[in-house]
Amino acid sequence: MLTKGMGLLVLAAAVLAFPSLAPDPFILSVGVVIMSYAVLATSWNFVGGFTGYISLGHASYSGLGAYGTALLVIHTGINPWVAMILGGLGVAVLAVPIGIASLRVRGASFVIVSIAMVLILLLVFQSWGEVTGGSNGLRVPRPFDESVLRPEQHERFFYLHAALLAVALLVWWAIDRSRFGTGLKAIREDEDKAQSLGVPTFNYKLTAFVISAFFTALGGGMYALWFGFLDPIFQFSILVGSYMVLMSLLGGIRSLLGPFLGAVIVGYAVEFFKNQYGDTQFHLVAMGLLLGVVVLFMPDGIIPAVSQLIDRFRPQAASIREVSAGELAEQRRTASGPGASTAADPATDDESTDRLSEGVQR
Amino acid sequence: MSLFFQSLVLGVLLGGLYALLAAGLTLYFGVMRVVMIAHSAFLILAAYLAWFFTTETGLDPLLSLVVTVPLFFVTGVLMQRLLISRLRPATLTMMSVLLTFSIALVIEGMLGFVFSGTQRRIRLPYSGESIELFGANIAVVKLIAFGLAAVSLGALFLILKMTQFGQALRATIQHPDAARLIGINTDRIAGYGFGLGLATAAIGGTALALDSTIYPSLHWHWIGPLMAIIVVGGLGSIPGAAIAAMLLGLGQSLLQIPLGTTWAQTIFYVALFATLMVRPQGFFGGRLAQRF
Repeated sequence: MLTKGMGLLVLAAAVLAFPSLAPDPFILSVGVVIMSYAVLATSWNFVGGFTGYISLGHASYSGLGAYGTALLVIHTGINPWVAMILGGLGVAVLAVPIGIASLRVRGASFVIVSIAMVLILLLVFQSWGEVTGGSNGLRVPRPFDESVLRPEQHERFFYLHAALLAVALLVWWAIDRSRFGTGLKAIREDEDKAQSLGVPTFNYKLTAFVISAFFTALGGGMYALWFGFLDPIFQFSILVGSYMVLMSLLGGIRSLLGPFLGAVIVGYAVEFFKNQYGDTQFHLVAMGLLLGVVVLFMPDGIIPAVSQLIDRFRPQAASIREVSAGELAEQRRTASGPGASTAADPATDDESTDRLSEGVQR
Repeated sequence: MSLFFQSLVLGVLLGGLYALLAAGLTLYFGVMRVVMIAHSAFLILAAYLAWFFTTETGLDPLLSLVVTVPLFFVTGVLMQRLLISRLRPATLTMMSVLLTFSIALVIEGMLGFVFSGTQRRIRLPYSGESIELFGANIAVVKLIAFGLAAVSLGALFLILKMTQFGQALRATIQHPDAARLIGINTDRIAGYGFGLGLATAAIGGTALALDSTIYPSLHWHWIGPLMAIIVVGGLGSIPGAAIAAMLLGLGQSLLQIPLGTTWAQTIFYVALFATLMVRPQGFFGGRLAQRF
């Protein structure tokens, strides 16, 4: 507990000190991008990490948050920060029907809806030119006046993103320790069992989904105010949504700081690639390969892998610890020994196969 | 009136292609519970291969099927055996989405890398020709594409209904445990099911290359409608997918008259949301689909 607290303090100090350590405004702007990614990935992790429902389309909520904020500022002229929060709330309201449609059934439909949302919104925002600016993009007014220069802007937005990240992390941590969080994690491990134990699975999933959409929209809105320009093709891009997934997965979706760690690694890599090789098709390949490798060989992420490694050198933990359904199945399989799965023998007797498979058809 | 009839015919032709591709997606979902995002990426890959074949040899793009169909079948089997089957069963559906998504990204990136992002189109001697049918003008290439799709769908139907392999495949889709109990090697069957699904992408891609302009990121325009089709049809039901594909293809084509091409596409997403709200297991799916 003490070491954890110390670690958090060091981390917070490192984040706060970054702007003064950054050698030039460019590095500082990369820092802002990484913090923005960290906010988005942490927000994604409310639904991905707790419930295990993987959304490839969270770019729709960040994009809607960004456009909502921008349009509110342009048309009503209210305070940009109020606009950002209103945008977030609006997206949260919108997320309710979307969540109801996609969460009534299990995993596969959820993913399909999440992808469909991005594709629809891209279509709508590109063709609805009078309101959204269409493919020409939308210029967002700056929240600070002209006297604040670029580097100063970057520094302020770095701290603002860090603050938003801190709030999101705090909420995640609180949910993680609550009864609500335990219910969500039960859904992740085995939804049928959770339901039969009396967890109101649908309401829990929906709540987590709405919270996630809210924070994602805030992240999108803040990005819009910083970047100052929105184009549907970058806002409603499947690629942005998949960055959130890759970052969270790489860091570890079960850990509080996993998405943050992933955002630092992937965000830095993305910016480095763009700077070195420009905007070629190659970054798609690199992103695809990295995601594939993580999914195949490290689906639990870096943080659990490292902490397991450290635990090896520590005395055995005595208290009850969390075990995932996958780990449990693996333990049981090894405990029952080999020979437990010899059911899959190729068919030899044609006639019996025919007769019995008719029974299967019903 | 003739405009309406024209759209009707074009809708049927488009629906045929959708039906073939959606049948492939349904196969993957049926045998492995995998939502295969890379399906449309393979579709575009096949279209590029057909285009490349024609520009290099000057032969008809249809001849490229001789190479691409077996190639895609083997790729599908290998993909299932080497990649998908490695994932943990507990998180298979979600992780397979990510894995196939990453494959789609790699294919899109490689296509852009090798062939550049320029839009490509096959020029054929019969590209401009069309047939007059009750006042509707139908391009020959569209008819060929539809014929290709119809023949392959028919072949797929015959394989599934008439052969022993088809029976084993359907048993695996309906109840994998029971299928294993009666001695079906479900792992191998699942691999072949994957190969068959990918072969539909090879045929569909060649049909697509005949009459449309292709570019690497085109696959995103296909995956959304196809996903919507399999949900509306009921995940895992091939006849359901085929019917939904026909209906939605027709709907898209007819809506293009009053709404224009862009907004007509939204019919797929409207249908998707309506289905999930009203009847989440899909309109033509059995009990199988309920839990997904």
